This record gives sequence, structure tokens and C-alpha cells, in this order.
Amino acid sequence: MPDHAPARPRVALFVTCLADTIRPRLGFAALQLLEAAGCGVEIPRAQTCCGQPAFNSGDTAGGAALARRVIAAFEGYEYIVTPSGSCAGMIRAHYVEALADDPAWLPRAKALAARTHELLSFLVDIRGWRPEGVALPATATYHDSCSGLRELGILQQPRALLREVEGLQMRPLTGNDVCCGFGGTFCIKYPAIADAIVGEKAAAIEATGADLVLGGDLGCLMNMAGALHRRGSRVRAFHAAEILAGMGGGPAIGEEA
Amino acid sequence: MTARDAILSAIAATLGPRPAASAIDAEAQALLLDLDEVRPALPPGALPDAFAARATSAKVGATLERIGALTELPARVAAYLDSHGLPAALALQQEPPLLALDWSAFTLRDTALPNEAAALGLARHGIAETGSLVFHSGPDTAVLGHFLPLHHIAVLHARDVVAHLEDYAPPPATLPRNLNLITGASGTTDIEGSYVRGAHGPRHLHIVLVGG
Amino acid sequence: MNKLSPVFKDDVKRALGDATLKLAIDRTTVTAEAKRAAALADYPQFAAARRRGTAIKEHVVENLGHYLEQFERNAVASGAVVHWAADAEDACQIVIRLCRAAGATHATRSKSMLGEEIGLPHALEAAGIERVETDLAEHIIQLAGETPSHIIWPALHKTREQVSALFKQHHADPHQTEDVGAMVESARRQLRTRFLTAEVGISGANFLLADSGAVCTVTNEGNAELTTTPPRVHIVTAGIEKLVPSLPHAWTLLRLLVRSATGADLTQYTTFHTGPKRQGDRDGPQEFHIVLVDNGRTRMLRDGLREMLRCIRCGACMNHCVVFRQIGGHAYGATYPGPMGAVLTPALEGIEKARDLPHACTLNGRCQEVCPVSIPLPTLLRGWRDKGWREGLVPQTVRSSLWAWRFLAERPALYRMGTAIAVRAMRLFRRGGWIGRMPLAGSWTRYRDLPAPPGQTFMQQLGDRNAPK
Repeated sequence: MPDHAPARPRVALFVTCLADTIRPRLGFAALQLLEAAGCGVEIPRAQTCCGQPAFNSGDTAGGAALARRVIAAFEGYEYIVTPSGSCAGMIRAHYVEALADDPAWLPRAKALAARTHELLSFLVDIRGWRPEGVALPATATYHDSCSGLRELGILQQPRALLREVEGLQMRPLTGNDVCCGFGGTFCIKYPAIADAIVGEKAAAIEATGADLVLGGDLGCLMNMAGALHRRGSRVRAFHAAEILAGMGGGPAIGEEA
Repeated sequence: MTARDAILSAIAATLGPRPAASAIDAEAQALLLDLDEVRPALPPGALPDAFAARATSAKVGATLERIGALTELPARVAAYLDSHGLPAALALQQEPPLLALDWSAFTLRDTALPNEAAALGLARHGIAETGSLVFHSGPDTAVLGHFLPLHHIAVLHARDVVAHLEDYAPPPATLPRNLNLITGASGTTDIEGSYVRGAHGPRHLHIVLVGG
Repeated sequence: MNKLSPVFKDDVKRALGDATLKLAIDRTTVTAEAKRAAALADYPQFAAARRRGTAIKEHVVENLGHYLEQFERNAVASGAVVHWAADAEDACQIVIRLCRAAGATHATRSKSMLGEEIGLPHALEAAGIERVETDLAEHIIQLAGETPSHIIWPALHKTREQVSALFKQHHADPHQTEDVGAMVESARRQLRTRFLTAEVGISGANFLLADSGAVCTVTNEGNAELTTTPPRVHIVTAGIEKLVPSLPHAWTLLRLLVRSATGADLTQYTTFHTGPKRQGDRDGPQEFHIVLVDNGRTRMLRDGLREMLRCIRCGACMNHCVVFRQIGGHAYGATYPGPMGAVLTPALEGIEKARDLPHACTLNGRCQEVCPVSIPLPTLLRGWRDKGWREGLVPQTVRSSLWAWRFLAERPALYRMGTAIAVRAMRLFRRGGWIGRMPLAGSWTRYRDLPAPPGQTFMQQLGDRNAPK
């Protein structure tokens, strides 16, 4: 563990709207992992959405309004951790853009940004943590979501964690760093283009012959899993945090009864 | 208000008052420091060798032969043309060192025809970094002599090879009408990505490297 | 020529259904990506060169007035005539006037995206001056009556069969065999006399060198020199952002440009044109005209798009863009496609006409990563989305959905209730763990399945666990 890491930091978990509604078990996985990594985790009840849909649609004021709420709800903690590169990226990289013209909130946005982390990179880079005693005999391939990769530099950390899962064999994905076509509102506004993009991604995933596709962002995972399933694929999708939390034996995305 | 005035005043309105020209120049010059940080290193060894290797690499695709002295040139050119099934006829750039050679076996033209088979000229420099040849337009050198023929034969003295692009940077006031940097033969991938040589310019670039 | 927004979705649909186009796009972009990667692997200094190139371009933009004046001074001193054009129409009128003064019946052109941008092909035709495109791809699309679909490979969308048919129809002495080499030879024959008999040659400029007034053109075919040397008049059309301080600065940028575009170290022909034919020169144009074109660039400088003025037109962004790779260049409906086109087109044509382009993007950031001069394309695109929002260009359905979402998201208690109800409602449509069809989710479910949520949200399941805040 890095020397500077506090003994038991106070971490606020930002669950994300997608995990809250579509995949609650991811929230519990995140909670479990953070506690295993020695954090005291709280879940501010005032949390809703990070504001990215508005911000990326051009509604900067709407994004700013939600940013203020997130800042107010989370700024009392040592760290804010979220199981999503895209939400973490929003808070770290874009809150300062949304609040650029707000002298009261801009410093608070900067302060929050500095303390906000995506989950998998937090576990590795800040907590120096690795899973122990987790096993999953399966083959898997990993998709690197764009925000996490390019805004936050998340590439090695998920692999370092998954390497510790006994029996799990990772297979490289051709074009692991190529966008899956989710793009938040993009796949709703331009579904035909998004479908063409995810079709290539699905083909690449199937070409690995892996049982599972893993990633760090639910939006991408839902997009890929939904496309794979519609195409009759047997590949199953999990968030990497779920595997690390020992939930790999449970229902994959789209298998919740 | 002229377009010139409109454009310059629009720029001034956005950028505000200008720094002194000397300050701007100083900043520009600072961007040319530490060039080895920003450009490829050359392989160790003599510059002419590095140039030859680069020029004949697959990326550049020129052919190259080396001769000891310029007097050997006409014989080599005759051999080159013969190997391509061409007669000993040539458009010769009017550089005095070339004119002084023995071309008695050749039919010479001083200007390249539109469908010229072969033309020969003397390059001022070679650049080892890229395998490029440098030509200047002038009284002795027609630009079209490098572009019209199917076979472009270029003579280069080994002593005129420099290491990097920046090592060839004539003072602005001395630039010729046309400074041609030629790196390989004409080519295109415009039809289905298929690489074809001789799109408009020469299909073959043959370099004769003298000395070194 | 420029048909925008209302037809974007139709153009996209047509492009997505065109399997031949997709083959062509893949062939071009996948090759370009591989070649660029190989070039970078051979050039460990690339990252440092990119920082330097970015700094050079930033420096020029920050001192644009200074460099424009210096360029003009030196160009005039070398014997060039410098013209200034505020917009596309001005620029075309200057070119036409010069062509008429030269008594031009036909003018050869080497590739210039700026020329496309200002509508020069159309203006020449309207003025009765025969336009002879000499870049092979531009020649092909001229014969086909089309516009470029990529800034480096304008004819990537044409098959060899289509090219063969065009050449057989239009060339005086076309190819006899169906191989690409024979077709290229046919074009070489066809254009040779045109090069040598044109009264005017029109080129673009890749760089304008301020300290000498020189114009740099780069080609792989050699058509720029054949276009600009034989005629009596050489006209250059160039955007005002093409300036660099000097030749050594151009070298840094050329190292970035060519690797990013084609993966080579340098284009086959890199030529610097300084003034007209000099006393004693064996060839060259008697007159050398440079038309400096604004056409929205000073507006971009003013309106927060200054970084876009760094663009050196390499095409790397579109080669790596997942959207371009599906829809190709024509679907963008404008001169410039791909990410750089999505930023430029609203600047050149107005956000109202080009409203779709900034949104037809996942903001994945690969374009910015491969841009040799570090243009923050996703940030600029989001900036256009912001502008579009403020000008009321976003469809009402989207505004309403986002308003409803914000309304809920600002009220946590209501949000909890709303999401709890929504997940239960969604479950009504599930089969097993998936939803194949659901009202309000048509955009998603038309193409892919939606994972069905479990019966309770995370927050519901959490209950009273942990200190509430």
C-alpha cells in the first residue's frame, strides 16, 4: 500500500444512475471491494446523476446544475469513488468546464475533481490493493471504455486486478481501445450508426472465443451485451468489479431473473 | 475597407496589441532548439551510406548505384537505359559539370519532351534522414526535367549529402523559384488503394551517387 | 454541393446500406491506421515532435497578423502578387478575374481542399473556364461529377470497375487491360497535354513560409509541379492559417503531417515555390499570384475555435473515427468530413445548417489522440453542441427528455420514487433477463436488447445501511 494512504479513508460511493437502476449488484460489488481495501464507505443518499447527459447534449447549464448538487453531496469526503470511467471523467475533467463561469463553485469543482476516482484505478493506484481468494475458471476479454482510457488513463489497472483471479484467463481483444458506439446519448440519437459500430465490436469480441466480456463502464457493457444477445451470441458480460467481488458465478448482465 | 484591412483588423481585434517583432522572432527561434529531441536519429555510419540505405528502402523505392568519379557517369547511364530496353537518348539538364562529360554515344536534348523516356540532372544535396534529393530551379535546371520523364536519373555527390532536413535550410533570400525535394518516384494509391508508380511524374527514380 | 442537416439522416442511411462503400472505407482507413502506427513505431521522437508542432502552430495563430504581413512583404519582394479574400465568393472572383486576364480557356488544378471549400470548381465552370483536375483522385471524381469523400483520398469510394468505365468513356486513348496500372497510364496520357497547354495552373498550399514568401505544396504524384510550372500564370489559393515562420519550422510540421496522413516520412514531391520565373530560369510561370483566404477563419479565431486553426489537413482524425468508418465522407454533406469536418462545417456554414454533425459523435477522443497538433476535437464539438442548444436547435423531444431527467435528478426523493417505479414498469416488458421491445426505448431496442433491471434499485436495496446524508 502506498505510504501516504490514510489508514481508513472516508470514501463516498457514487453509484451512477445506470448501476442504481439496471445493475444494483454492481453497487454492492463496489461497496464490498472498497471495504476490502480498507475504506470506510458511505453512500450519500442525495446522489442522483452526474449531469453528463445534459452536458454532452449541449445543455451546459443543466449539467452545471447537477454538478453543483454532486459537489454539495460529496465534497465532505476524502475520496469519491465510482464504478464508471465516464462518470469519474465527468467529475474530474468536465465539472470545471461546466462551472467555468461560476466563481463560487469553480474552486469547489476543482477540489472535488482532485478527490474523485474511478473504482478499479482507485483500488490499484491509491489503495495498492489486490483481490485474494477469488476464483473464476473462465476465459474473458476486456473492453477499455473511452472516457476511462483517454480521460483517466485507465488501462493497466483492471488487468492487474483481474490477473489475481484464479483460473481466469484473459484474452486480448482486437481493438480493445476502439469505441463501442455507446457514446451516451449518441446511441439513442443515431441508433443505426451505433448499431454498425457495435456490430464490429461484437464480432471482435466473438473472435476472441472468450466466455466473457468485461469492462469498467455499464453503458458500454449494456450496449455490447445487448448487441451480442440480439445477435445470438453466447458471450456473457460482467462489470470487472463484479468478478473481483466474487460475483462471477452469478447472473451476467441480462440474466437477472 | 479592403479585404486585407478587414482581415487584419479582425485579427487585431481578437488578439489585441502585438508584441515587438523581435520578441515574436525570438519565440519562433526558440521553437527550433534541441532538434534532436524532435527528429529521427540516423543510423551510425557515413552519411552517404545512410542516404543510400534510405533512398533504396521500400518506403522510398529509388534505385541507386555508386561510382568513384563523375567521368564514369555516361557509361553507367548507358547501361541503365539498356537494362530498361531504352535507346541511348536523354534529356540532359544543362549543368556545366554534366555538359563537360563525354556523351558522344548519346542523342541528347536540352529540354525534356512531354513524353520523354529519360532525363538526367544534378542534385544539389541529398538528405540522409529521408533519402531525399534537393534540386533548385535555375538557368541550368528546368523543373520539368524532374517531372516529365518516365525515368528520372539523378546524380549526387557524396560530399553533398547532409544528415537532416534542417541541415538543408537555405537563407530565405536565396531560395530559388522552385525548390524541389524529391523522395522516390511518383506514385498513387487513389484507385482501390492499389499502389501504382508513375502517376504523372516519373515511374523510376535512379540515383547515381558519386564518390564517398 | 453542400447539402446539410435535414438530409443527414438520409445520407447516413444510404451510406450504412452501401456494402461496397464500407469495403472501400475499411481498405483506406485500416491501411492508413496501420501505416501511421508503423511510422510512429519508427519515430520515437514523435511525441516530442507533436508537442513542438503544436507549439509552432499555436505561436503562429497567436501572432497571425504579424506573420500574414511578413509573408505578404516577402512574397511581394520575390515577385509574387498577393491578394486578400474575405470570403469564398471574393476568392473565386479574384481567381476568375486572373484567369480571364490570362485569356485562359482551361486551367489545370492540383488538389486543394481550400479550393473545394470556396466552391472554385463550380465558379470556374460558371465562368466558362474549363477546369482540369490533375490529382488522379480529383480527376476521377471530376469525371464522375462528384465531390471528394476524404481529404487525402478523395476517390476512396470509387471501385476500380467504376474508374475503368469513367476512363473508357472520357479518355482519348484509354487502357486496354483492366489492371490499375494500365488505368493510371491512361490518366497520365490523357492529362499530359492538358498540363502543358494550360494558360493557368491553380494550386493550394500546405504551408506558407512567412520569412521568404514561399508556398509549399506536397504531393505523391508530381502533379503540383506539372500544374504550376508550364502555364504562364500560377495561382495559389490558401487559407490564412497555413502560415509557418520559416522553412525549418515547416520541416517539423512536415514530419508530423506525412506520417499522420500516409505513414511515409515525406511525400515524394515537396516543393517550395518562391515568386514567378526569374531571369534566366529555364521554366516557370511569368506570373505568380497568391490568394489569401479568410472565409470564416478570423471568426473562428474570435469565437473560441482558435485551436482548429492549427489543423494541417492530415486526415488522421477521420481515419481513426468510428463514425467516419461507418458512414464515409459524403454523408457529412460538406467539404470536410470526419471529426475535423464536424468542427469546421458549423464554422463555415453556420451551426443551424450543420446542426447534426457535432452530435453524430461518441466523444470517444481517439481523434484528439491521433491529431498531430493536439486539437481538442471533442471539446470543440461539445462547444458546438452548447451553441446549438442555446440557439434552440435541439429537437423539442430531446429538450423535454433532458428537462424531465434534470427535474427528477434535482429532487432526490422524487428521483428515488421515479426510478423505483420505472424499474418495475420496465420489468413488465422482459423476457428472461432481457427486454426486446419497449415503448420509449425504440431507438435502443430496434437494434439491440436491453438488460431488464431487477425489481428494486440499488438505493432501495441499500435500505438504511450506512449513515444517510
